[in-house]
Amino acid sequence: MSLTIHTQALSKRYRRRLALDRCTLSIPEGRIVGLVGPNGAGKSTLLGLVSGMIAPTSGSVEVLGHRPAVSADQLARVGFVAQDAPVYPRLTVADHLRLGARLNPRWDQGFAERRIRARGLDLEQKAGSLSGGQRAQLALTAAAAKRGDLLVLDEPVAALDPLARRGFLRDLLDFVDELDVSVVLSSHLLGDLEQVCDHLVVLAAGRVQISGDVADLLAVHHRISRRTDDPFRLPAGAEVIHAEHSRGESSVIVRSVDAPVPGAEAVDLEDLTLAYLTRAAAGALDGSSATVASATVAGADR
Amino acid sequence: MIWLTWRQFRAQTLVAVGALALLTVYLVYLGGEIRTFYDTRIAGCEAQACDVARMDLRAGFDDAISLMVVLLIAVPGLIGAFWGAPLVAQEVEQRTDRLVWNQSVTRARWLAVKLTVVGLFSGAVAGLFSLLLTWSVSRYDEVVGERFAALSFDSRNIVPIGYALFAFVLGTVVGMVVRRTLPAMAITLVVFAVVQLLVPTLVRQNLLPPVTETVAIDLAVLDSGVGLHLKDDNTFDIQGYVAGGSWPMEFSFPIYAADGSPYVGEDAVPCLIPDDPEVGDACTVAQDLHFEYTYQPGSRYWAFQWIELSLFVALSLLLSGFGFLWLRRRS
Repeated sequence: MSLTIHTQALSKRYRRRLALDRCTLSIPEGRIVGLVGPNGAGKSTLLGLVSGMIAPTSGSVEVLGHRPAVSADQLARVGFVAQDAPVYPRLTVADHLRLGARLNPRWDQGFAERRIRARGLDLEQKAGSLSGGQRAQLALTAAAAKRGDLLVLDEPVAALDPLARRGFLRDLLDFVDELDVSVVLSSHLLGDLEQVCDHLVVLAAGRVQISGDVADLLAVHHRISRRTDDPFRLPAGAEVIHAEHSRGESSVIVRSVDAPVPGAEAVDLEDLTLAYLTRAAAGALDGSSATVASATVAGADR
Repeated sequence: MIWLTWRQFRAQTLVAVGALALLTVYLVYLGGEIRTFYDTRIAGCEAQACDVARMDLRAGFDDAISLMVVLLIAVPGLIGAFWGAPLVAQEVEQRTDRLVWNQSVTRARWLAVKLTVVGLFSGAVAGLFSLLLTWSVSRYDEVVGERFAALSFDSRNIVPIGYALFAFVLGTVVGMVVRRTLPAMAITLVVFAVVQLLVPTLVRQNLLPPVTETVAIDLAVLDSGVGLHLKDDNTFDIQGYVAGGSWPMEFSFPIYAADGSPYVGEDAVPCLIPDDPEVGDACTVAQDLHFEYTYQPGSRYWAFQWIELSLFVALSLLLSGFGFLWLRRRS
């Protein structure tokens, strides 16, 4: 089975700071991947490595079967929009499309023009005078019109207001269908990604906390609510991700791949993400983050 | 890629072309003036009139020519700071590197096209300016010029092309390493100014081994504007001697008597005839003195021009190679 992104013990060190720590990931083809984690978790570093903008300190990364940015062909297959959607301030919108057309063999001018017109952007306007949302649209259009096989978007909605966020994401879903591409998009807010992604990667403190298809993740995670002093036994092979106690009530998120958990309720993506992030944060406070094992759901390579 | 280079470089190209157009108009005018002066005052002049005409030529055109020379010598530095330094640094600063290096063009190709297109243009601008200036002041150079003088040599013929190309690549690589435009511009200007100072003072004269020749002090030598200088150790030097069109390696050379012993103060006393310098000179010539003249022959002028151009082209290529390596390892 072919993988969109495959990393092995991928690490990146900036001077003294370890931004990404032995990150191993396998992301199947055709997914819309949400990469979520707090600020400074290493999301941009991971996406920078995937796009080939930066080189790993150790470990390996393969995108669509090749080293990132290794050749013009490989570059043509991956569209990348960096954080804050950089554009050339002195070039016009039309210039940016011309740039895309001249520099990309698979460029889809019809698609680009259609989208720019649909977003109400003025072709003759200088990119430097666009609003944050318009700039994001321009950068996304230029990356998508490359007609690559993978689209990597670093915090695409961070600069947008809540209304624009919804519009942007709905629109993203529409054209992902049209273009038939895999997508990786990152955010520090799960809420942004929840509605669009079908594969989730939770990153914290430079390490992958969990990664898998959303449906699989929801199937193997459970919430157990009970009185704190009630007896409580976990089935064999189950793992407590996070437990919360308040006023005599306990709420425990567990992961159990094989055995059913008696008395368990379903979790939603937010609970699940928060459980992993809280565990990572607690681990970091203890200074024992290295002992927090990263968990990968086996269902990912079905 | 060439389209993008042109599109990003459009404003600078127009400024350069405009400036060159203005310079062309002025230099053609200046060339005409100098030629008119030459034709009316210098061609076919005789003795005393020639000296006066030469002095008038200097007085009339020195300022204008100096201004053009300074401008031409400043051009490579400006190219390095304003075209070279921002080439990569500004992309990094505006984060557009993340946009342009994710098109279907490898970074190496991107850099190759940028360096080639803008580098060739830089060389062309400096070269054109230099050829215009060389043509414009050719009569002046012929009559009163010292073509091996640092400022003359650096501002004539083909050498400025090498300087411009080198300054541009230097600026680009400094910008790549420093990653910020303004500091990169400042560093480029300083480093290039140091190179511009060191080459004529320390490097150029060593590019070819100088020639040494024994020159007898005759009337022609004494009349060529030299001075005999008695040093503290009581021996004489000849100062300021330049054999036609050559480039002396020293300003002064020790004088020797026919037997090879240094010419000392006591030897000169019999010829000290302040009332009649001509008799004095004849007396000095009769003493059969000579000195060892170390120089670069004037015939080597073009060899020096080509060597220096090649040197800077080679340096530019080396620096470019470093730039490619740096861009590949950048992380």
